[in-house]
Amino acid sequence: MSEINGKVLKHGEQTRTMHWVHMIAFIILALTGIGFYFDIGFIAGIFGGEANSSLVHRWAGVVFTVGPALYILLNFERFARFMNTIATITKDDIGWLKTMGGYIPFLKGEVPPQDKYNAGQKMLGHLIIIGCLLMILTGFPMWLWRAVVPAAFLAFCYNIHFWVAVILILAIAGHFFLAAIHPKSRVEFASMMMDGYIDAEISAHHNEKWFNSLQEVKE
Amino acid sequence: MSIFKEKSVFTRRQFLIGSGMLAATAVITGIFAKFGFDAYAVSQDYIAKRAAGLYNLDEKMAIRKSHENPEILQIYKDFLSPGEVSPVSEKAHHLLHTKYGREIPAMIEELHAHRHDAA
Repeated sequence: MSEINGKVLKHGEQTRTMHWVHMIAFIILALTGIGFYFDIGFIAGIFGGEANSSLVHRWAGVVFTVGPALYILLNFERFARFMNTIATITKDDIGWLKTMGGYIPFLKGEVPPQDKYNAGQKMLGHLIIIGCLLMILTGFPMWLWRAVVPAAFLAFCYNIHFWVAVILILAIAGHFFLAAIHPKSRVEFASMMMDGYIDAEISAHHNEKWFNSLQEVKE
Repeated sequence: MSIFKEKSVFTRRQFLIGSGMLAATAVITGIFAKFGFDAYAVSQDYIAKRAAGLYNLDEKMAIRKSHENPEILQIYKDFLSPGEVSPVSEKAHHLLHTKYGREIPAMIEELHAHRHDAA
């Protein structure tokens, strides 16, 4: 690989803002949710007691829903490109999954060139979208219709809400580890959380197919 | 230093996948919301009928006010506040006021401790 000088704009301003908003809402929801399930007084105390904690959970749920919805409506093109990227599964993605992107030591083999998001990130994208939809679709009835829908339906919502929360919290923990801690990929952290840029050479290596489609703009 | 950016090309495939995803979400949410609103409507209808039934029953009762019920007055005179009718007596407060949530175990213990008092 030749030396490439420069940087790549990977995540625009609105995408980063949406990611921040969604992340903060998710942390609050996860913390308060864990507090309810395990009846941890300390967590409820952080949010001003059990009743306030419940109120914070519900309104954080509103932010969790409205944030991405606004982003999608105001940036439909960006959203459509993202959906197209994660919905496109090629032989290279299957190849990435077979070698797990080189992240697992005993899985040897050549890692095929990847798109803007690698196969693992594409899977996480699907998981987060489906997971968030399920959380929203079960969360609001538990809040607004709790007195009027059949008890069995409400219990069904509680179960789905709980298990999807477990899956999402584990998935996001993995996402955080790979994006912010793992030495091979932690450069992604500054790109999404700070200025949106990533080193061109790293991008050309990790996201070769996407990098080749970019245009060079002189500063 | 060079800056690399995405080309501003928006393909038909990208548009169709993006709008398809939005449409699918709208349909799923719509079906789910329809179920919820239907259940809400059925519930409201039931609540209205139940309330009407209770009012109807109440209108047919001979004694319609608990503080005028001779049996209740007798319980106060004989047991809850001996010799008089005092609804906020100490015994009435302990026996007739319930507890909720984390106060329940303490209430059960208290009832056990006084279980021979009523005899």
